[in-house]
Amino acid sequence: MSGDYKFDTLSLHAGHVPDERHGSRAVPIHQTTSYVFQNTEHAAALYNQELGGHLYTRISNPTVAVLEQRVAALEGGVAATATASGMAALSTALLVLCSQGDHIVSSSRMYGANINLLENTLPRFGITTSFIDPSDLDGIEKAIQPNTKMIFGEVIGNPGLDIMDVEAVGKIAAKAGIPLMLDCTFNTPWLLKPFELGANLIVHSLTKWIGGHGVAIGGAVVDGGNFDWGQNDKFPTIAGPHYAMDGINFYEEFGPAAFTAKFRAEGMYNFGPSLSPTNAFHILQGMETLPLRMQRHMDNTAKMLEFLCGHDAVAWVRHPNLADHPGHELAKRMMPRGAGSIIVFGLKGGRDAGRTFIESVELASHLANVGDAKTLVIHPASTTHSHISAEAMIEGGLSDDMIRLSVGLEDFDDIKADFEMGFRAAAKFTKTKD
Amino acid sequence: MKHQLLDTQIHIATGGRSFANDGEALVLLHGSGQNHLTWVLQSRYFAYRGFQVLAPDFPGHGLSGGMPLDSIEDMADWVIALLDSLDVKTACLVGHSQGCLVAIDAAARYPERVSRLGLIAGALAIPVNDQLLTMSDKALSKAISVMTSWGHGPMAHMHDNTQPGHSFLGYGNRLMASNHANALRHDLTACNNYSGGKAAAAKITQPVLCILAASDRMTPVKFGTAMADSLINSERVIMTGAGHMLPAERPAEVNDALRRFLAR
Repeated sequence: MSGDYKFDTLSLHAGHVPDERHGSRAVPIHQTTSYVFQNTEHAAALYNQELGGHLYTRISNPTVAVLEQRVAALEGGVAATATASGMAALSTALLVLCSQGDHIVSSSRMYGANINLLENTLPRFGITTSFIDPSDLDGIEKAIQPNTKMIFGEVIGNPGLDIMDVEAVGKIAAKAGIPLMLDCTFNTPWLLKPFELGANLIVHSLTKWIGGHGVAIGGAVVDGGNFDWGQNDKFPTIAGPHYAMDGINFYEEFGPAAFTAKFRAEGMYNFGPSLSPTNAFHILQGMETLPLRMQRHMDNTAKMLEFLCGHDAVAWVRHPNLADHPGHELAKRMMPRGAGSIIVFGLKGGRDAGRTFIESVELASHLANVGDAKTLVIHPASTTHSHISAEAMIEGGLSDDMIRLSVGLEDFDDIKADFEMGFRAAAKFTKTKD
Repeated sequence: MKHQLLDTQIHIATGGRSFANDGEALVLLHGSGQNHLTWVLQSRYFAYRGFQVLAPDFPGHGLSGGMPLDSIEDMADWVIALLDSLDVKTACLVGHSQGCLVAIDAAARYPERVSRLGLIAGALAIPVNDQLLTMSDKALSKAISVMTSWGHGPMAHMHDNTQPGHSFLGYGNRLMASNHANALRHDLTACNNYSGGKAAAAKITQPVLCILAASDRMTPVKFGTAMADSLINSERVIMTGAGHMLPAERPAEVNDALRRFLAR
């Protein structure tokens, strides 16, 4: 070992060394609920977090742990905890950090389920949220209240593709003594490592680019280990006595990994959002090729942007790598390899043209996912974001004609031909409108 | 627990149990640029097995206030002052790396207070190269990164951790960054300047357990073996495939070895 392994190597290896007994090169699937204890003392030690190890798959699992350690390694975090989905990661992280009466400052331009959770579900438990345009740094700072426990947002907003200035928002959070938690699903650690810019916690939907194959749902919460939970009295269940384990103080006992220790002891233990070992295995297979796929995603996205921007049927195109995007310069600075492989666009024939296009393409799949190796299209206003209010849609930058495109890895000429076919089918609406 | 020692409020990890001054204390001494979190998988483990665990943050480290101490001898005196302040008569000192130098120095000069020693990834001298010393002063984050990298063995570099989901390197970097900005420079300078290890070892008659790592790049095993050879009442365990950060890299094996030793 001459130095720390690089990203591509970690994508293939991190978290796993072949065991001496079997030598399995691939990560074994430990499809088990439970683990035989050596004796009663060993069992008690595991429950009491005296030692690392596994006691029940709801809490942790060897296959899932490989995935967690790989995600932590790629993000440069101190630890990661995998969950059954990205929403499980987010909701559990929020409940581990927040209590009744607490407040969150959040980006207003996010995935519909993220907004729903904060706007409609958490208020039932006494946790409220102020939604702010992620580019409004002054608004974010002013929205912080004495009971605010975090700032939350997406680096690349879904589906509006608004860019959050991680470094600037991180400084606002640090000044207020609260963590910055980011949903980094759209950027992946290949495009951006937000801990290096001051983010403190990261949630991922591993279902998307990190898994990449569209075969397994999963999520993760990554702990940057760079937030001082004891700097103020805002987090008494981390930096004060907790009900578990004789009043354990996670901050004093686990230091930089205090949040993860609590997430494991309370979030996984009480809420049980565990990822199945088989799904962890599937996601790991995807992670092995993450750098290769991301490069291809970026290459095809660049070609697609050129194609769409020059096409007569297209009314508008939005992507942070386009010069007219309000976050263009910021995206270039934060993510020089590219600002993700989601493009949103509208056709000149409006919503009807978009619907016809989506129903006419054959290679691109019409479904509710992004980040798959295959090209995907959807109409967010009637699907992924249909459960949020009309006001939230406007606030989130969603228009009725918006098509969300997740650029895949196919030969670009084939995607282009498929889109040309869709545009031809939608052309009748363009003519009607004209 | 918070504790006032001399004019400084310090933090002492007690493994999640209240410290009851009941016989021999088990004092865990961290290494250069580290703090009580070196012992995250030892302090709780031994506290819940009836040991009176004290894992202090030296001044300027972890959650302790004050400025870092300047010499190994000062650190040894500080440990004895800590025992005095808690009315602890005798203690088993378990050191890691720099903590071994402190433990050896204290055992030689205060034999009536130190009942036995556990020396993990240690040596009788820990010279520090000029480049690292300069880095610790002028480019702290780089020094931390280099030490975290050197300090961990091959399994740790693969992030293969007994604690589910944890990254050795990520955790190691953040742990060191949480100390006072001068802590690492003071520690490395203290190690580099300490020349009393050999003479101190010659005076030590207490039982000693040396736990060494075959892949240790910070205090290579040959120096650990020489340390064990110079201690007349010592035994050694060498763990293959592990690096310098043995307490984290091989917690179960370290705990087992220490426990057998302490059971005598």
